[in-house]
Amino acid sequence: MQQILNLDNVWKVYDMNRAGYLVVLKEIDIAVMQGEFIAITGPSGSGKSTMMNIVGALDIPSWGRVNLKGRDVSDMSESELAELRSKSIGFIFQKFNLIPTLTALQNVMLPMEFIDAPEREAKERAQKLLDMLGLGDRSHHKPGELSGGQQQRVAIARSLSNDPEIILADEPTGNLDSKTGSFVLEFLQKLNKEGKTIILITHDLELIKYATRIIHILDGKVEKDTGSKNIQRSFVKGGLKNEK
Amino acid sequence: MLTNSKLRSWLTIIGIIIGIGAVIAIMAISEGAQVSLEASLGGLGADIMTITPGYSTASTRGGMRRLLESTSLDDEDQENLTKKDITVLKSIGNIKYVVGRVTESADIDYDGKSITRTVTGVETEDWHNIVIDELSQGRYLQKGDVNSVVIGDKLANEIFDGIELNRFIEIEGKQFKVIGILTEGSDIYMPIDRARDILEDVGDEEFDSINVQVSDPTMSEETMEEIIDRLMMLRGILKEDERDFTVTSMQDVQASINEMMETMTLFLSAIAAISLLVGAVGISNTMFTSVLEKTNEIGIMKAIGAKNKDIMRIFLFNSGMIGFVGGIGGVIVGSLAAMLIGGSSSGTASRGVTGSLLNSGAIITWELIVGAFLFSIIIGMIAGAIPAYRASRLKPVDALRYE
Ligand SMILES: Nc1ncnc2c1ncn2[C@@H]1O[C@H](COP(=O)(O)OP(=O)(O)O)[C@@H](O)[C@H]1O
Ligand SMILES: [Mg+2]
Repeated sequence: MQQILNLDNVWKVYDMNRAGYLVVLKEIDIAVMQGEFIAITGPSGSGKSTMMNIVGALDIPSWGRVNLKGRDVSDMSESELAELRSKSIGFIFQKFNLIPTLTALQNVMLPMEFIDAPEREAKERAQKLLDMLGLGDRSHHKPGELSGGQQQRVAIARSLSNDPEIILADEPTGNLDSKTGSFVLEFLQKLNKEGKTIILITHDLELIKYATRIIHILDGKVEKDTGSKNIQRSFVKGGLKNEK
Repeated sequence: MLTNSKLRSWLTIIGIIIGIGAVIAIMAISEGAQVSLEASLGGLGADIMTITPGYSTASTRGGMRRLLESTSLDDEDQENLTKKDITVLKSIGNIKYVVGRVTESADIDYDGKSITRTVTGVETEDWHNIVIDELSQGRYLQKGDVNSVVIGDKLANEIFDGIELNRFIEIEGKQFKVIGILTEGSDIYMPIDRARDILEDVGDEEFDSINVQVSDPTMSEETMEEIIDRLMMLRGILKEDERDFTVTSMQDVQASINEMMETMTLFLSAIAAISLLVGAVGISNTMFTSVLEKTNEIGIMKAIGAKNKDIMRIFLFNSGMIGFVGGIGGVIVGSLAAMLIGGSSSGTASRGVTGSLLNSGAIITWELIVGAFLFSIIIGMIAGAIPAYRASRLKPVDALRYE
């Protein structure tokens, strides 16, 4: 299997001026193979979202290298990064993050507009994605007129609009009831089976059963990793089972 | 539902409407005034020059005042324009007609009402060729007229209650027949010999002013030089600054009125420019607020693939839109205001200098409308440029985290 993502000794440090330095991530070494379904767990404030933002090229590390699809992210220009985000990565957030003034359909079309896809094709594809998520009849509703679960399904459709290789989901079920949460996870699992690489952040240990690999973050460090590269280190420190 | 941001946009648009409206109104009214001035001065009087007694270097530029006052200059102690001057003027090649005038105030009686008014005596032979005012009834004075007068409409119908053609009015106790009524003004014209007879203080061979009409107005400058040279020679005056007469052309008058108009337009435009500037600052302010409000959305859009230039375009489009809508509103409001203040542009040009310049009809050209409209959009974009740039440079994570 091919490596799609590699973090090499990634650190994130915030300069808090008077308060000194805040080290949020340290010594992160993770290699992700294409087709993996990774669950990243850890307590609130441990640095999961920060890591996710770096992986998704929304943020840059203070030190270390991030390699996405064979290219070093720090070598890329702003517009190359934007293109990478639109074509190769699909984001799903805890608070949905839809544009409130646009309809469901327009929200799903937006990433395609940013890569200048023809309007008609974009519209057709957006409608097909909404159909696939069971929202075919809601395409002209604005986010405010949809329930939380429906909004998250629109967000999933949006994340798929440019058919990215990687889906990054940061606590996607955090604002959903358990039934809708299960739907979302099952859908992610289905996407994974179709070949997409999924990275899921969650502190709900119920959900890690969908993943093929679990990474536990504690105080900005990889505490345990069931994956290949860090497997030794994780098991030396006591194994996965102690977590529960 | 009117959201805060919509309300703010509309308030900003109102600012632009006021600015653009003011520009349109000022430009349209001053254009109208300019055109009507040119029609009343340029068309009729460009070939007329006036020679008056007295000269001071300081008054060379005050041509307008001198000309407008030329009918009441009899206080001048040097009434030194004579028949000799007329003869000399008539011998100048480019001069077609020469008309000597005297002016003096006199008591006018009609129908039991009595007033004092300036009366102008003119040489009847050529006066009708040179006179600028138009007749509404009757005819001009001509050679052979004795106890006849031509009076202005205002005198006939406003100062007196309707003096009709062929009625007699009393001037200094003598009866004069009204043979013509001019379309405007309150002047009284009579043959110069009669004026000398009945008016006090008017010397027999002297004139208070002399009007000349040139054949070729393009040679006015040269002709004026020649008049000055010849009259100085006649008087044995050698130095320019010792001369005792002044020559004024209607072109001078027009130039100084134009200059005044331009100063006024400039002043009003400055005010309009300030209100536009305020409008532009309003756009900037609204856009900065909007960027702040939409920071989270900017983060979302960047996360799903928006490039800096996409964000820039969205905000520039927004501020350009404010300029666009404000421009439409400004053109409408400005045009209405111009028509309200200036009156419609049809058929008012002939009212001339004596009519109010502001009322001489606004002229709203396509150039003005399109220009103001494009200007408004450009102002919107320029005012929105810095906020848009700021928005485009927001870091995706920071924007996403912003609450
Ligand atoms: N821009 C920032 N400036 C300062 N501290 C930050 C910034 N972003 C995140 N942090 C801090 O980094 C730590 C990790 O945050 P985060 O990655 O959101 O944790 P998690 O997602 O695991 O809950 C937190 O203590 C947070 O306060
Ligand atoms: Mg988080």
